[in-house]
Amino acid sequence: MAFSKKERPPRTVSRRDFLKVAGTVILVAGVNSPFAIAGSVTKYPPSDGYILVDIKKCQGCVTCMLACSLVHEGIESLSLSRIQVVQNPFGAFPGDLTIEQCRQCVDPICVEQCPENALTVNADFGNVRMVDASKCVGCGTCVEACPYTPSRPIVAADDRYESELKARKCDLCANTPYHWDQKGGGPDGKQACVAVCPVGAIQFTRTIPVQKGDLGYKVNLRGPAWERLGYPTT
Amino acid sequence: MNGYTGKILMVDLTRQKITTIPTSKYEQWMGGHGMGSAIFFDLVKDKTIDGFDPANVVTIMTSPFSGTLVPGASARTEVQGIGVQSYPVGWFTRSNFGGRFSPMLKFAGWDGVVIQGKAAEPVWIDIRNETVTIRACKSLSLWGMDTQKCQKTIWGYMAGESGYGDWMQPAGDTGGQTTQRPAVLAIGPAGEHLSRMACLIHDASSAAGQGGFGAVWGSKNLKAISVIGTGHVKIHDPKALIETRLWQKKNYAFDLENLKHIEGAWQFQSPPSTSHERGKAEKKQGKRPKGCVGCHSGCRSISEDGIGNEVTCIGALFYLDAKTNDIHRKACELINLYGLNAAEMIYGLVYIRLLQQNEDLETAKIPPCPLDFSDYGSERFIEQFVKMAAYGNDGNGNPSEFGKDVSTGFVRAAKKWGRMEKDLKSGVLHFPYWGLPIHKEPRAQVYWGYGTLLGDRDINEHEFDWIKWDVFRAKQKNINPESSAKELVKIFTDIMVPFEGDMLMMDFSEKNIYSDHMAKLVSWHRYYTRFWKQSMLFCDIRWPDIVNLHRPDKIGSTGIAEPRYLKAVTGKDFSFLDGIHLGRRIWNLDHAIWTLQGRHRDMVHFCDNVYEKKDPLSNADVPNCHLPGFENGEWGYHGYSKRKLDREKFDEFKTRFYTIQGWNTDTGYPTRKTLESVGLKYVADELQQKAKLG
Repeated sequence: MAFSKKERPPRTVSRRDFLKVAGTVILVAGVNSPFAIAGSVTKYPPSDGYILVDIKKCQGCVTCMLACSLVHEGIESLSLSRIQVVQNPFGAFPGDLTIEQCRQCVDPICVEQCPENALTVNADFGNVRMVDASKCVGCGTCVEACPYTPSRPIVAADDRYESELKARKCDLCANTPYHWDQKGGGPDGKQACVAVCPVGAIQFTRTIPVQKGDLGYKVNLRGPAWERLGYPTT
Repeated sequence: MNGYTGKILMVDLTRQKITTIPTSKYEQWMGGHGMGSAIFFDLVKDKTIDGFDPANVVTIMTSPFSGTLVPGASARTEVQGIGVQSYPVGWFTRSNFGGRFSPMLKFAGWDGVVIQGKAAEPVWIDIRNETVTIRACKSLSLWGMDTQKCQKTIWGYMAGESGYGDWMQPAGDTGGQTTQRPAVLAIGPAGEHLSRMACLIHDASSAAGQGGFGAVWGSKNLKAISVIGTGHVKIHDPKALIETRLWQKKNYAFDLENLKHIEGAWQFQSPPSTSHERGKAEKKQGKRPKGCVGCHSGCRSISEDGIGNEVTCIGALFYLDAKTNDIHRKACELINLYGLNAAEMIYGLVYIRLLQQNEDLETAKIPPCPLDFSDYGSERFIEQFVKMAAYGNDGNGNPSEFGKDVSTGFVRAAKKWGRMEKDLKSGVLHFPYWGLPIHKEPRAQVYWGYGTLLGDRDINEHEFDWIKWDVFRAKQKNINPESSAKELVKIFTDIMVPFEGDMLMMDFSEKNIYSDHMAKLVSWHRYYTRFWKQSMLFCDIRWPDIVNLHRPDKIGSTGIAEPRYLKAVTGKDFSFLDGIHLGRRIWNLDHAIWTLQGRHRDMVHFCDNVYEKKDPLSNADVPNCHLPGFENGEWGYHGYSKRKLDREKFDEFKTRFYTIQGWNTDTGYPTRKTLESVGLKYVADELQQKAKLG
């Protein structure tokens, strides 16, 4: 179980965070990004947490994907993983591999467009953008709305709802029936992909990443130890 | 069935028929090798057939851990059947490979694939979840392609113009979705041309290298199996599974901020390695580590030019004499593209070069060699050599009797050239057992040589192999090894149930290498690997975790971790010792099959060289291999390569070994009593019918 809103220490949006977010929106609006369509940043409070990845450090073991479906569904499935590692074993480093994780968008178009209000900014879990499966009808609007490839929301048959189609998306492990830690996940808990990554290529942050482009989410998590092993750090 | 999908795919290529076997029928064997041996025994009525006989059955098995979070056990796939590489008999044998094939097979809903018969024309098998189709190669022109092009062509066929990167529904609208490429296991030109050195290759460099299974597939007209799955594996206790993974990660795996054992060590505790890269002072490639599915510490890499991706282990030791690092990497890639066994190619090249240097290539019985040795070290030279071995020609597309001979394997070539006995004896042909190339020095690492000889193939099991490396490095640096010999032997032998506590099992001194103690070590090693490594499919490089420097007492997680994972995944209460017992059962089944194939104790000998000469050539490893020895009343590390084995004493060792197994000591045949004690009455019955019961 994750912290409830009452238990969690209050978090305020700092002036620095505000400037980052506002600056991003102003900037992306100027280049006609999908965020420009999404409207004002003030409509949704930002998530209290984000997942960052280092695609040059990743060893492609997809352990993060196995852990994701395990803690959420109690099964091992690459197809249900909210984080996707896509790789080509014949490719050339670093373009051979990418990690695509949900960005917990500051202006979440999947939430905006859900016709059933099943996708919410959940204040009980640090404003994480989450699916309420009881409301979801599996229409796939969120999948269509997501501006990223592959789409971060997934729609698949759900055994817990008599195999009805239900959307799933990264909730920072807030709603994980099989979480290993007593305190659970969510922004104030532990995220499975971060915890299991053998090389530390996935990191949790409370700082709102730069929204424009990938650089805010795909970062350099390498350091001297990585260099000592013989791998590049730049 | 938690950990299993519940069904095994059976493909009859002759009848073009797809059927299924319920996994429950073989669940008593748990998975991998045990299941494969049991299926093979049931399906192949005449075990004396040749590996190229269409009646030969090839099993490709997963384990309950495949596709799960169990570190270093999620990705291996076990391949079995009658091989075509060993000499004089193509033993029933095994090979396994990593990557992502077995997880994908599980996600598609299959615990394994069984191949029977022979297709009328070249085919590939297309598995998309439940939908399995045997497709002719001709529509994609797959036959004739190298392994990389074959895989890319199938990927393109599956994804169409949209390519990869987005969600796709490989089984149509009613199936699930995935972003992943299909996992393809393919043969190259070597397999198509029935080279006995031919491998099965998956992705860039995951190879089922031993046994010549590439040629077996080629003889069946089978080019590739492609599998893409969108399903899942059920887990008994998901929370316990991730808890155990994180417990091991925290307490036993490498810590980037506190690195230990970084110099090429390949143990559970070791960090990712950059694969073998030659130490020459040339520009190194930028790269990432590459791990198989679920691995906690990759042993491969992806380079910035994409050449030689994933090459590791012995596959990275080919053509070390290349003029540049780039040529070396290309050479390693070539053997994967053409689908050839690295070990045989390495020592085969050594053999041909020695013949050339000794001016023996000019002798009358050897057909003209098309290679230009003045160009040795170049890319052109090695490409011609690789193509020669793959196609059985001169390597440039022209007929060549020499090339044809080489493609049958170097021992068979030497036999045809009338010099096999002579060259095996001198050590020029460094293939000391069953016509297979040297790997570890059998005079020193006797458990490796004995295990190979008492089995079917170069065992390639590294439980104890890193010990000599540790001592070697310590000597180079003039420091103490990580553990004293006594400390290390104590930790090792304490884990060796049911023989635990007998420290002399790891005494490699001259006086002890033919003893009951050594027979127990070899027995334990056979049982342990048959079950935990080859049936549960723990990676040979990263497991077991016996001596661990991250622990104050240096005691690793093996013995505790494996049953914890097994319980979490399957729900079964199954101890480490239970696994050793089941390993013994599997070992007995395998031995019964070899006996039916014609194995007799009199055949079980090294080539003369091992008995008559001291370490004739330096092998791929360290000079004068240092191992634990109890000498003059003290444990220490001593160099043991500079000795020869004693033929008569080794024969006595076999008697001790057979006695421990409960087999007939005159013939080496299994006895009814022993087979029935491990639940193999039906095997005893078949042996009795064939007059092979001991």
